[in-house]
Amino acid sequence: MTAIKHALQRDIFTPNDERLLSIVNVCKAGKKKKNCFLCATVTTERPVQVKVVKVKKSDKGDFYKRQMAWELRDLTEVDARDANKDNPEFDLHFEKVYRWVASSTAEKNSFISCIWKLNQRYLRKKLEFVNVSPQLLEESVPSGESQSVAGGDEDVLDDYQELNTREEQDIESMMEVCEYAISNAEGFAEKLSRELQVLDGANIQSIMASEKQVNLLMQLLDHALSEVDNIEGKLLSYEEMLQSVKEQMDQISQSNRLIQISKTNNDKLLDEIQFLVNYMDLSKGHIKALQEGDLSSPKGIEACINASEALSQCMNVALKPGHDKLLAVKQQQRLFTELKDTFARRLTNHLNNVFVYQFNHFSHFKMTIPQFYRSSCLSLPGHDQSNTLAQHTADLTLPKHSPLHRDLLRYAKLMEWLKNTQRDKYEGLSRTYVDYMTRLYEREIKDFFEVAKIKMAGSSKDVKGKFGLHGSSGKLTGSTSSLNKLAVTSSNSKRSQSSSLLDMGNMSASDLDVADRTRFDKIFEQVLSELEPLCLAEQDFISKFFKLQQHSTPAQGENVDDADGIVHSRPPSEHRISISEKDMVRLMMNKIFQSIEMELNSLIALGDKVDSFNSLYMLVKISHHVLTAENVDPASYLSTTLGNVLVTVKRNFDKCISGQIRQMEEVKISKKSKVGILQFVTGFEEFAKLAEAIFRNAERRGDLDKAYIKLIRAVFNNVEKVANESQKTPRDVVMMENFHHIFSTLSSLKISCLETERKDAKQKYTEHLQSYVINSLGQPLEKLNHFFEGVEARVAQGVREEEVSYQLAFNKQELRKVIKEYPGKEVKKGLDNLYKKVDKHLCDEENLLQVVWHSMQDEFIRQYKHFEGLINRCYPGSGITMEFTIQDMLEYFSSIAQSH
Amino acid sequence: MAANKNKNQSSLVLHKVIMVGSGGVGKSALTLQFMYDEFVEDYEPTKADSYRKKVVLDGEEVQIDILDTAGQEDYAAIRDNYFRSGEGFLLVFSITESESFSATSDFREQILRVKAEEDKVPLLVVGNKSDLEDRRQVSADEARAKADEWSVQYVETSAKTRANVDKVFFDLMREVRAKKMSETKEKNGKKSGNKKKSLKERCVLL
Repeated sequence: MTAIKHALQRDIFTPNDERLLSIVNVCKAGKKKKNCFLCATVTTERPVQVKVVKVKKSDKGDFYKRQMAWELRDLTEVDARDANKDNPEFDLHFEKVYRWVASSTAEKNSFISCIWKLNQRYLRKKLEFVNVSPQLLEESVPSGESQSVAGGDEDVLDDYQELNTREEQDIESMMEVCEYAISNAEGFAEKLSRELQVLDGANIQSIMASEKQVNLLMQLLDHALSEVDNIEGKLLSYEEMLQSVKEQMDQISQSNRLIQISKTNNDKLLDEIQFLVNYMDLSKGHIKALQEGDLSSPKGIEACINASEALSQCMNVALKPGHDKLLAVKQQQRLFTELKDTFARRLTNHLNNVFVYQFNHFSHFKMTIPQFYRSSCLSLPGHDQSNTLAQHTADLTLPKHSPLHRDLLRYAKLMEWLKNTQRDKYEGLSRTYVDYMTRLYEREIKDFFEVAKIKMAGSSKDVKGKFGLHGSSGKLTGSTSSLNKLAVTSSNSKRSQSSSLLDMGNMSASDLDVADRTRFDKIFEQVLSELEPLCLAEQDFISKFFKLQQHSTPAQGENVDDADGIVHSRPPSEHRISISEKDMVRLMMNKIFQSIEMELNSLIALGDKVDSFNSLYMLVKISHHVLTAENVDPASYLSTTLGNVLVTVKRNFDKCISGQIRQMEEVKISKKSKVGILQFVTGFEEFAKLAEAIFRNAERRGDLDKAYIKLIRAVFNNVEKVANESQKTPRDVVMMENFHHIFSTLSSLKISCLETERKDAKQKYTEHLQSYVINSLGQPLEKLNHFFEGVEARVAQGVREEEVSYQLAFNKQELRKVIKEYPGKEVKKGLDNLYKKVDKHLCDEENLLQVVWHSMQDEFIRQYKHFEGLINRCYPGSGITMEFTIQDMLEYFSSIAQSH
Repeated sequence: MAANKNKNQSSLVLHKVIMVGSGGVGKSALTLQFMYDEFVEDYEPTKADSYRKKVVLDGEEVQIDILDTAGQEDYAAIRDNYFRSGEGFLLVFSITESESFSATSDFREQILRVKAEEDKVPLLVVGNKSDLEDRRQVSADEARAKADEWSVQYVETSAKTRANVDKVFFDLMREVRAKKMSETKEKNGKKSGNKKKSLKERCVLL
């Protein structure tokens, strides 16, 4: 632009004495590419004229033509069209409105600004600036203002140029060169003008030369411009090419996307197909196994298990919503269902057959034995003892079903499959199983209990014999003892030789009692220990085979794992399942073993009938088994059944106790013989010994303790009752002897709950010993006793001891008379009689004669001394003494001792 | 069924043992220890008491009758009667009390007097309270010398620790049994109907 400005100044304005101040490249509004310039000029001569000149660049050649010029005076309005926006358009209002478009907003702005300034400086006339940014107008105001203040001297100031030092020096040197300058100013001036002319010429020449250069430059520029045009054209063509390439690329990418979509679709389809093929395809082998696989060989079962698992897997595949609409899937599913049905039917049939076969097999096997038992049972009554004995040695066992279970457990997986797929078939099978097993077990258990009963009956027969013995039916006694002899010969042979027949019978009977009981205990224990594994095995088998407890275990495990309650909301449902499944097991067990409880009860009843003491054994055994069973599994069928049975046994036990108590109450003693130790006292001793042995480590101690207390109370009461009723034997003796025995029993058994009773017994024994001694001793010196009792009564009434002798009934004569009645001989006879009587009263078992006699001797001496003391006090100085001395008395005692 | 038991007991062979000795030497303690496996610390003078127990003596079931007697009686003659009834005697003294040891001689003399018709009376000298070694007054040698003199066995026991308690009873029973057997043989061999026989018979009948 500056270059253009220079060119314009040089070419156009300098010749007209004008100065170019501002230039703007414009074109007429509405026309294109009409390149021209608007120039603001001032004349160099005064008065200054301000003009706006329009210069046009000629199309051809490189020069400018002055087209039109306006006086600034004529300008009325400048319209910038828009003050704020960049808008190169502007209007100038002269005689008419000229519309321009500047090549740039900046140019426009500087041009407008220049016009404003020129107006300010030279014209100061009202000129409208419309839509011109105020910034543009104000910017230069201050300078304009100052310039205006300077006034008209401005041009003078402009012209005067102060010489700077260098110019000064130049001038000075120049003047020195022309020494004559000062002297010859004229010559110097001439010289200077000459030189100036030379310089002017040179200047003009150089200007001329530079014009050529400029022209050359302009040419070059033109050339460059055309080159640029050329390049522009090329670029345009390139762009076109690129455009087409881009279009092609677009097309390619479009098709690519389509290919992608179809590929993913294909992939998905493939996946689906693969999924269906993978999961819904059942191998030929499996199909074959399901359709006709051998269900009896382990290999076949294995194959079937695998096949059934594969089948369930296939059937349980989680199909997506649309899958079931696929024909192939439908077909496959139909095939599976068919396979499932066929296989389930086959499996059910086969298992049914297995059940039947096993059942028949077992029952056949079992049938052979019971027949033997039955025959022996029939021949039992009495005649064939060897058979009975053989019977006793026969094994009391229940057949084990482990082979059956083992066989069937191979099908467990298949059962699980069946349970999960064909519930009704599964339930049908379990019903069938239960039916068969019920029959099988019922028979086995019946036989088993029959054997057990026969064994028990073997002992019961003896016991009955023994009962007969007690009932004093002499007929049976003999046979019993002989039978007993058989049973216990080995242990008793020595004694039976040395004892009388009767003794031996008694003894062996009681020994047999113990032997019977231990045998009963053994039988019962065996029954229980046979039943226990049987039940457990069956329950285990059922839960395994019918898959009835599988769920409960993980559920429980879960409960244990998440104890913090997070899972608590969930387990209940699972728990319910497990409970119902346990119920299922229990139901099946109930059905299968329905006969057990009945049989057990009847066995218990028999045991109880045979010997009520057996209840003790049964109570302990059952309790123990209940506890063990509960430890194994508290909900098991066995523990519930045993629990029920336990109630019965406990009832029997209580019955046994109350039976004993009743026996005590009903006891009758003979009026002729001495009482001795009462049957029920020794009975209690025996019971307690037995019970202690049985309950030694048992869990039911509490029951026994309660029974003890009941029994001992009955014993105490009945001893007293008998003592009161006793005629032949004095009451004191009955009490003394029996309580001594009870005390001794309790001391040796050390039953802790009966400690107070033990002390009681001792107390009663001592009391009655004392009262017996005193009562008995009243007799040998009866009158003396009466006399002195009277004396004491008087003293007690307040009569002074020394004055007793003045009483008529108790004077010295009376005393002498009484004493005379008891000479030594009489006393000795009395003591003799007393000893005999005591001997007669007392029984041998308690061996209390020596104890009693010892007490009597003591008491007698005490009485003697007491009498002597009374005589000394009440009849002092009378010189009356007893007819016998203590020494005499001791001699009597010695002689009594020697005579027995 | 309980009825036969008492008869059963009496049918066993019965050995009658008498505890003899001064007061407080531990006769009752020995008896109770033997009978009930218990030791009673408190001392309560006994008048007399009788005990019976079934024991197995060398494989044979027998019964033992123990008569526990009073140690402190005013009159020795009172004892005559039960000495008479005894078949064997445990002559007990306390090793912590020399008086009780010297008293044994008197007791023995009385026993021999009462059972004068017997050739030999089964008897054991028992030095009780052997657990109280620090209070011992009677040396084992001294006691043994006396026992040797009487040609009987001397055993030291402790009713408290149960040391030798069973031994003295069983040893005594063995002696009693041996004596009875020799008498039976004698009786069967030559029917010498003297007092011994009647006594023997009475025992068996009981």
